Amino acid sequence: MGSLTRKKTLAVMALSAMIGLLLLPIVVSVPALASGGGAPAGGPPPDVVKKEGGEGDKDKKVEKARDVYYKTEGIVSGLPAPKTGDNAKDYPRYNFESRVLLWFANQQHLYYGSFVLAVPIFCMVIEFMGVMTKDKAMAKKYDQLAYDFIKISLTAYSLTAILGGILIFTFLTLYPAFFGYLSSIFRPVMHIYALMFVAESGTLYIYYYGWDKMKEGFLKWIHLSMSVILNVIGTVLMFLANSWIGFMMSPAGVDEQGRFLGNIWHVIHTALWNPLNVHRILGNMAFGGGVVAAYAAYRFLSSKTDEERAHYDWMGYIAMSLGVAFLIPLPFAGYWLMREVYAYRQQMGITLMGGLLAWLFIIQATMIGILFLSTNYYLWQALGRMRGAERFQRWIKYFVFLLVCGFLVFITPHTMVMTPAELKAMGGQQHPVLGNYGVMSAKNGGINVIITTTVLTFIWYQRGNRVPSVSWSKFGNIFMGVFFFFAYVNIIWLAIYGYFIPANVRVGLSVPQVATTLSCLFFMTALNLSMLKGAKQIGPIEWGKISVRSQYALIMLATAFTWMMGLMGYIRSSVRLFWHVNEIMRDNSPWAYTHTVGFAANMISFNVLFFWISIMFVFWLGTLAAKKAPVEAKAPVPGQAPQPAVGH
Amino acid sequence: MKVLIGSVLGGLVVVLIALLAFGVLPATSLKLVEGYMPMQMLFELGASVAIFAVMSYLLGQGGVQLSRFWQGILFWAYVLLYLKFRVYPPIPFSVRAMYGTVTLIAVFMWVSSNEEDWKKFKQPIMNVLDANTGFHKALRTVYLIALPILLWGFSYSSFLPNLDEPVELRTVHPAPPASTKVHGKTFVLQTSQNPYRVNPEGKYDQEYTNARIVEQAMGRLMKPDANPWDEKAEGYLKYVREGGEIFFQNCHFCHGDNLNGRGLHAFAFNPIPANFTDPGTIAQLQETFIFWRVSKGGIGLPNEGFPWASVMPPWEQHLTTDEIWKVILFEYWHTGYYPRTWD
Repeated sequence: MGSLTRKKTLAVMALSAMIGLLLLPIVVSVPALASGGGAPAGGPPPDVVKKEGGEGDKDKKVEKARDVYYKTEGIVSGLPAPKTGDNAKDYPRYNFESRVLLWFANQQHLYYGSFVLAVPIFCMVIEFMGVMTKDKAMAKKYDQLAYDFIKISLTAYSLTAILGGILIFTFLTLYPAFFGYLSSIFRPVMHIYALMFVAESGTLYIYYYGWDKMKEGFLKWIHLSMSVILNVIGTVLMFLANSWIGFMMSPAGVDEQGRFLGNIWHVIHTALWNPLNVHRILGNMAFGGGVVAAYAAYRFLSSKTDEERAHYDWMGYIAMSLGVAFLIPLPFAGYWLMREVYAYRQQMGITLMGGLLAWLFIIQATMIGILFLSTNYYLWQALGRMRGAERFQRWIKYFVFLLVCGFLVFITPHTMVMTPAELKAMGGQQHPVLGNYGVMSAKNGGINVIITTTVLTFIWYQRGNRVPSVSWSKFGNIFMGVFFFFAYVNIIWLAIYGYFIPANVRVGLSVPQVATTLSCLFFMTALNLSMLKGAKQIGPIEWGKISVRSQYALIMLATAFTWMMGLMGYIRSSVRLFWHVNEIMRDNSPWAYTHTVGFAANMISFNVLFFWISIMFVFWLGTLAAKKAPVEAKAPVPGQAPQPAVGH
Repeated sequence: MKVLIGSVLGGLVVVLIALLAFGVLPATSLKLVEGYMPMQMLFELGASVAIFAVMSYLLGQGGVQLSRFWQGILFWAYVLLYLKFRVYPPIPFSVRAMYGTVTLIAVFMWVSSNEEDWKKFKQPIMNVLDANTGFHKALRTVYLIALPILLWGFSYSSFLPNLDEPVELRTVHPAPPASTKVHGKTFVLQTSQNPYRVNPEGKYDQEYTNARIVEQAMGRLMKPDANPWDEKAEGYLKYVREGGEIFFQNCHFCHGDNLNGRGLHAFAFNPIPANFTDPGTIAQLQETFIFWRVSKGGIGLPNEGFPWASVMPPWEQHLTTDEIWKVILFEYWHTGYYPRTWD
C-alpha cells in the first residue's frame, strides 16, 4: 500500500470516526427517547397514583395531566417542582450573594463557549475559501489563517470545559434544589449533551492534529468535511443547552405543578427554543469575529515590522467582515425572538421592552448602534489603504448624517429619565416630538437605515480602488443609485405609516422593511461584484498602511460585542423575575429581586473585563506556540501577496 | 460673490439659533406642525447640514476656509443649541445628553474619516501643545492655568448640597399580571376580549370595529356611516356612545375632553394624566391591559410601577365591569387607535 493510499485510508477512517462520534449520542439515546426519556425524578411517586390507566389493567394506575404549553394530555412521570424556602438546605450559601457567583461562572462559560463554537465555523469558511482560491499564495494564506484560528480556539476550548465544570459545581452547591429539578427533567438531554461534548473534543483534536497530514487534494476535502462535522456537533451542543434556558423562560412538557409528562421533545421544543437557537448562533458568530478582529488589532498595534502589520491588518479585515456578515441579520433574529416572547407572555414582553427592563434595552440599542458605527468607521479608515479611494472621502459626512439620524431615533427612550420639574415642563410623560421615536415603528426605521447605510459603505469599500469597466456600468450605477434611494424612501415611509395602522399590522411592517434592507445587501452587493468583474484598477491596496484609529475601532467593536452579550444575557435571564422556571418553580432565595441598572452594568463590565484579561492570556499562549513553530509552517508575507478574494 | 452667498446662508442659520437661544424669538413662533413633528425635526437638522455644507463649499471656492477644527466644534455646538432652544416642549437633560454624546461621536467620525482631515482637525491642538509662536505659548499657559481651575470648579459644584428633586426612572407601562380579578370574576389578560367589540351579529370582531373608529388625522373626523350619537346607532356604535357618556361623567376631568391628558384638573398632578392620543400609550397596549389599569388604578400598580406616581382611582369601586369595557371601547374609538392584538 502506497503512502498516499494509506493516508487516504486513515483520513477516511478519521472521518468515519467523527461521524460515528456524531451519531453515538443519538444511538445511545434512542431507547430513552423511545420511552419518552424514561421517568425523570425516579418515576411517578406513589402518592400521585390516582387514575386508572386502562380498563383492562386495574393494577396499573396512572395519573394524567395537561401540558402547560402544548395543552396535550400526558402521563405524569415526575415529581412536582420543589417548593423551596429561604434556608440553607435549598439555598446553601457563602457570606456572599450566590446569584452573583452563578452569574459570573455562567457568563464566563458562555463567553468561552460562544468563542469556541464560532471559531471553528470561521475556520470552515476560511479553509473553504483557501480550497476554492485559484491563487496558490492566497490559498496558503487562507489555510494558515484558518490554522491560526483553530490554534487559538484549542486553548480556549480547555478553558471552556473548565469553566463548564465550575458552573456545574456552582449550581450543585448553591442551587441544589433547582438544579436537581432541572436535571430530573432534562436527564436524557444532559447525557446526550455530555456525549456530544466528548464527540466535539474528539473531532476537534483529530481536525487540529490532522491539519498538516491532510494538506492537499482529496485529503484536504476530507479535512474540510471534518470541519463541517465539527460544526454540526458544536451547533447541536448549543441547541441542547438552549433548551434548558428555553424551558426556564417558557416551560413546556410539564403540568402546572412542574411534573414531567413523558414527552422529552415538548420539554426541548419550547415556545422560545427556535428563536433562541437562531439568535444565539448568529450572535456567537458576530462575537467570535469581533474577538478575532480585536486579537488582530492588538497584534497590529504591537507589530514591529511592515510585514507583520500587513498580515494582521488583513487578518483583522477578514475577521471583521465575517463578524459583520452575521451582525447584519442579528437584529432581525432578535426582533423575531422578542416577537415570540410577546406572543408567549404579554407581561414578559412588556417587562422587557416597556417596563422594568426597558432601560436596559435602550443601553442595548446604544450598543448595537456603536457596533454599526464602528464597522462603518473601520471601513472608511480602510479606504485609506487603497490608492484611488480618495474620491469617496468627501461623501462620508453624509453617511455619518444618515447613520446618526438612524441612531438617534433608535436610542430614544420611550420612558425618559427626568426630574419631576422636567416632567412638568414637558407637560406629560410622553414628549410630543421625541415620544414618537420611542416606539417600535420608528425604531425599525432607524435600525434599517443604519444597516442599509452600512451596506452602502461596504459597496463603496469594494469599489475603493477600482472603477467598473463593463459596458453597462453607467446603467448599473444609475440602477444602484435609484435602488438605494427608494430603499431609504420605503424604509422611512413604512416607519411613518406604522403610526396609522393597528399594532398587529404594524408588527408585520417590519417584514417589508427587513426585506428592503436585505435586498440592498444581497442584490446590490451581487450587482456591484458583477460590475467589478475585470474592473480597472486605479491603485493598489497597501495592507498595513491603515490608521491606528481603525484598529481601535476593531477593539471597540469587540468590546461592544462582549458587553452587549453580557447585557442581553442578563436581560433574558432577569425577565423571569422571581421564577427559576417561569410560573412553575419560584425562586425563594434572598436574591430573587431585580438588580438596579447600575449594579447590573457594573457586573457586566466586570465580566467583560475578566473575559478580556483571560483571553489575552490565551492569546499570549498562542504566541508562545507560534514562536516555536518551524519556519516553513509560517505563512508567506501577506503584504506582498495580491489582494484577498473576500470583499474585492 | 460666492463668499457673500455662503456667509449669508450660514449666517442666517446662526442668527436664527442665536435669537432662539437668547429668548428673543420664542421657539413656539417657529411652529412644529402637529402630526409631522418627528420628521420635521429630522428634516430641519438635515437642512442645517446641507446649508453648512453649501456654505463651506462656497466659502472654500472664494478662498475663505474655516478650519476643520472649528467646523467640527461649531457644528456640535449648533446641534446642542438646536436641541435645547429649538425643540419644544423642552427635552429632558438625560435625552439631550445622549443626543449630544452621539453628535460628538458623529463629529469625531467625520473629522477623522481620513488622514488629511484628521491632521487638519488636530493642527490647532498640536499648535497649542507645541507652542512655536508667542501667541500659542501664551494660549498654552492660559490652558495650563484655566483647566485645573475648571476641574476644581466641577469638583466643587459636585460636592455642593443639591436641593433639586432627584430624577425618576419611572416605568410608565409596568408589566401586567397574568390575570386580574374584578367584581369576583377572573380575567386572563392574554386571552380576554372586550365583550362590546362586536359586529352586527354580536360576535367579537376587531376588523369591523376598527373600520368604524374616527379618522386618525388632524381634526379627527367621524366616519360618515359610523356616528355613535345617531340615536338609531346599535351594537358597537351604541356601546361607544355609552362608553363616551361614562367617560364624560367620570374620566374627562383629568384625561381631558380630547383624551389628551389635559383635563380640568390635569395640571394639579405631576405627572399629568396619560395622553391617550399619544402613540406611546393605549395604541401600544392590549385592551386587557387598559382594563387592568382602569380597574385597579394607581393603587394597584405592581412593584415595578415605582414610584407609583398615579392618583387614578381603582375604578372597579365605582364602575361595573361592563362600564369599564365600554369606556375603553370609547377611548379607542375617539383616538382613532386600534388595540394591540397578537395574531
